Amino acid sequence: MDVSPMDVKQVMRDYFVDLGEAAKDPGRKVAWCTSVGPAEILRAMGFAVYFPENHGALLGATRVSTDTIPIANAHGYSPEICSYLTSDIGACLKGVTPLSKAYGLDSVPRPDVLVYCTNQCKDVMHWFSWYARRWNVPLLGIHPPNHLPEVLPEHVADVAAQYRRMIGRLEAITGTLLDLEALRLAVARSREATDLWEAVLNTARARPAPLSFFDGVIVMGPIVVLRGTQAATDYYRALLAELQGKVVARQAAVPGERLRIYWEGMPVWGRLRHLSDLFANNRATVVASTYCNSWIFSDFDAAQPLDSMARAYLKIFINRDDAYKEAYIERLAGEFGIDGVVYHAARTCPNNSNSYYNLPQRLAARGIPGIVVDGDLCDLRCFSDEQSTTLIEAFLETL
Amino acid sequence: MSTAADCDRPSTDATVRTEVFWGVDCGSAEIKVAALDREGRLLTTRRCRTLFPLVEHVHRSLAGQGDELSAIADGDRDRLPADGRQPGLRPGHKVFATGYGRHHIGFVQGQLTEIKAHYLGVQHQLRLQQDYTIIDIGGQDAKVIRATPSRVEQFAINRKCAAGTGAYIEELAHRLEVPMQELPRLAAAHDKDLTLNSYCTVFSGQEVIKLLMHGERVENLIHALYRSVVKRVLEMTAIDTDTLVFSGGVMSHHPILVPLFAERFDEVRTILAPNAQFCGALGAAIHGMNEESDDGLPNHQ
Repeated sequence: MDVSPMDVKQVMRDYFVDLGEAAKDPGRKVAWCTSVGPAEILRAMGFAVYFPENHGALLGATRVSTDTIPIANAHGYSPEICSYLTSDIGACLKGVTPLSKAYGLDSVPRPDVLVYCTNQCKDVMHWFSWYARRWNVPLLGIHPPNHLPEVLPEHVADVAAQYRRMIGRLEAITGTLLDLEALRLAVARSREATDLWEAVLNTARARPAPLSFFDGVIVMGPIVVLRGTQAATDYYRALLAELQGKVVARQAAVPGERLRIYWEGMPVWGRLRHLSDLFANNRATVVASTYCNSWIFSDFDAAQPLDSMARAYLKIFINRDDAYKEAYIERLAGEFGIDGVVYHAARTCPNNSNSYYNLPQRLAARGIPGIVVDGDLCDLRCFSDEQSTTLIEAFLETL
Repeated sequence: MSTAADCDRPSTDATVRTEVFWGVDCGSAEIKVAALDREGRLLTTRRCRTLFPLVEHVHRSLAGQGDELSAIADGDRDRLPADGRQPGLRPGHKVFATGYGRHHIGFVQGQLTEIKAHYLGVQHQLRLQQDYTIIDIGGQDAKVIRATPSRVEQFAINRKCAAGTGAYIEELAHRLEVPMQELPRLAAAHDKDLTLNSYCTVFSGQEVIKLLMHGERVENLIHALYRSVVKRVLEMTAIDTDTLVFSGGVMSHHPILVPLFAERFDEVRTILAPNAQFCGALGAAIHGMNEESDDGLPNHQ
């Protein structure tokens, strides 16, 4: 990885060290939140916020999930469901976490409340429910309308009303009322960070691209876990300046860039290096992805914090219909000068696998060729190095 | 003057004109080798089982025996590669690799995927002038390649499991206790169309056992096995073509599959590629010729 790895490591270290301290401090509360859940509300109410999906990705990237998924399977969590869930529940049952080695935490921080939003899938509900039962912790869910062709005012009103009900229950847990100004500040910071994140990703429109998807999934940590904080904004401002310098200097993420690829779907966390090398060896840069772009929330507006949060979190790619997704990928293919799309069909994540309903064929008919690679985010039983190598190399040969 | 150290490197002397282009297809079941002269004429083909260390068996295939054509330099012909030492090649010989093992042969001059290799091997031999579709069934995968006279347009490879591949046929032959080479003859003697439904090789084996227990004839089961292969391949991608070309070892050993594929189309011309099992190796050699021509255009037509 060529893009500020040390800086992002420090930002993430500070975040996790603070989480560890919060979990031990009787005066502080810890909330668990889904990755595109209402983190700004939790931050504004003073919670230290922990994101189990980030833990799932860590379990996958360190390949600890290889040991922990089967444990969850044996406890009745099917191999067919979200492998973030099975990795994480298995890790809890086994009493392991990569956070110990990486950041010195004894365990994941015990929650005072669990907050999920099913804007991405229903598995997060089942996942958080397990912890709610295990630790007898309050479980609060936001259930927005799903797979929307268009986000309408009534959808926004529905979710904003759910936020208000949830805030009442959170106030009962913290013993204090939500400070609206604190919420406005968190939303403003999230907006600033997400705008900077978008600008960071857009530097890859340059030829050659200064960062690839494989850099992106590393430096995206702060936009996932630190939305609503100054730390995220500061980090992305510095990263953007660095990447803009690389664009001017024509410094390539993949030297000799010959092809520009769009990655659709989840990363294969346990094979990032393998895939990064595979593309680089074929002088192909993965310049854009649905996954990294999923943390761009251009609707955040401090003047209307709850409504704008509702709109932003309803509008995410994964919560939209197929026509929207098709138009979205087509637009990005044009903006980033994409030669072809690699669709990752993640066995345990059908909600974030968009090759199942003929989308690749429709886009191919409009001049955007693609290939479907079977795999998974964490479960390497579903991924073949050999087959994926042949598929991707053969695809690049045809472009 | 050449030294012992020179023998550790492939011969890449640019001043020596390449006379023989070798292609090696390292498949899951067999290593296939083909050699072409500068005009693209086939000089020899060889095959052996895929065994390990892979590089030793590739070396043996390329070295040949006795008076056979050898790609390996005389001094290294009987000296198997070991400890990372690579054999020297004879002056004027170049080797190119394809297949799943292609990245594991250190002394080749280039590599390409099986998709492109099978296409080049088919097109070199048939010189088709219209669009067509290749169905290649190998030991562990099946491929459908949509081709034009000048390029691969699109392709699909079987997903996740072995059903519809050589491994599937081999496993069920084992279950039925029938030698592989007997399968086509027995299938031709079928008197009933049965269906094996499962995606999964293991579950298909269970279906076969259940049918046997119900007294079904082995001939009907073998015919069902072939029909199942056809079904698995055709569900990989929609094929819209008037010319189907078959390549690969499975098609070569089980040509009974050709009419079974044909009957699934309204009107289609079917061609079993010459040297079907060696199309990948031939294509690798053609790729080498194209690389040397360096004009980016196929020079095999």
